Amino acid sequence: MSSSELEARPKQKVEREEPTRTGPYFQPAVDIFETKDAIVLVADMPGVPPDALEVNVDGDQLVVEGRVRPDEYQGLKPLHVEYGVGGFYRRFTLGKAINRDTIEAQLKHGVLVLKLPKAEHARQRKIEVKAA
Amino acid sequence: MALVYRDSFEQLQAEVGRMFEAAFGSPTGWTGAVYPPVDVFDAGDAFVLKAEVPGVEPEKLDVSVEAETVTLRGERAFADPSEGAAFHRRERDQGQFRRVVRLPALVASDEARAEYKNGVLTVRIPKAKEAQPRRLTVQAG
Repeated sequence: MSSSELEARPKQKVEREEPTRTGPYFQPAVDIFETKDAIVLVADMPGVPPDALEVNVDGDQLVVEGRVRPDEYQGLKPLHVEYGVGGFYRRFTLGKAINRDTIEAQLKHGVLVLKLPKAEHARQRKIEVKAA
Repeated sequence: MALVYRDSFEQLQAEVGRMFEAAFGSPTGWTGAVYPPVDVFDAGDAFVLKAEVPGVEPEKLDVSVEAETVTLRGERAFADPSEGAAFHRRERDQGQFRRVVRLPALVASDEARAEYKNGVLTVRIPKAKEAQPRRLTVQAG
């Protein structure tokens, strides 16, 4: 396989403690990277409209949750299935303090981009190394 | 047997889950399949094909229907982080894809239409007249 050819990866089903809604939840594939002043999380959540997306930061816990629209499946009977239909759920422990007031979230073509600005005290500082 | 109330979407989800497990053994029992995975549904007078292709720009998505064959082509670009960013996790793939799906009956391919919404591609292909369900009138003898 050439490096530029996409290969399908199965969606991982997640078991949730007490979901308020029935139906399966899957773990969205994510990229997480850190810049000088923010942690950026990119998550694949196909089928989730902006009004069915929830992002919560509680202490060092970040929870991302989204649901798909049932009306997209109205009147359909499955014939051939390669992926499950359900919501997305994933929880992360943040290694750095986040400034919760300035979190930016953008959802486009089923991809969530979450910019979590680091709290002032957690920002990267350059440390001068003194020669002895 | 206890009766559990399920709305139609819950029934569909359960049915999809059962079929997935029947086809692949377990909810996570397959790897290395062709991208993108597709689900095909029967909508009575049409087939509905859905594929999860999050992050693909609509202009990079190409759908063609020829006879009973649907071909999906596209490219998923990389979310480019700013210079000097350090990756903590990298699970999302990028690259090109081409997928051919054969529908189970004759279709009216020139009436097919495709829609891309929230990262999900939906192709609706009406069945050919011969393949549509017909209700017969039973003649009393």
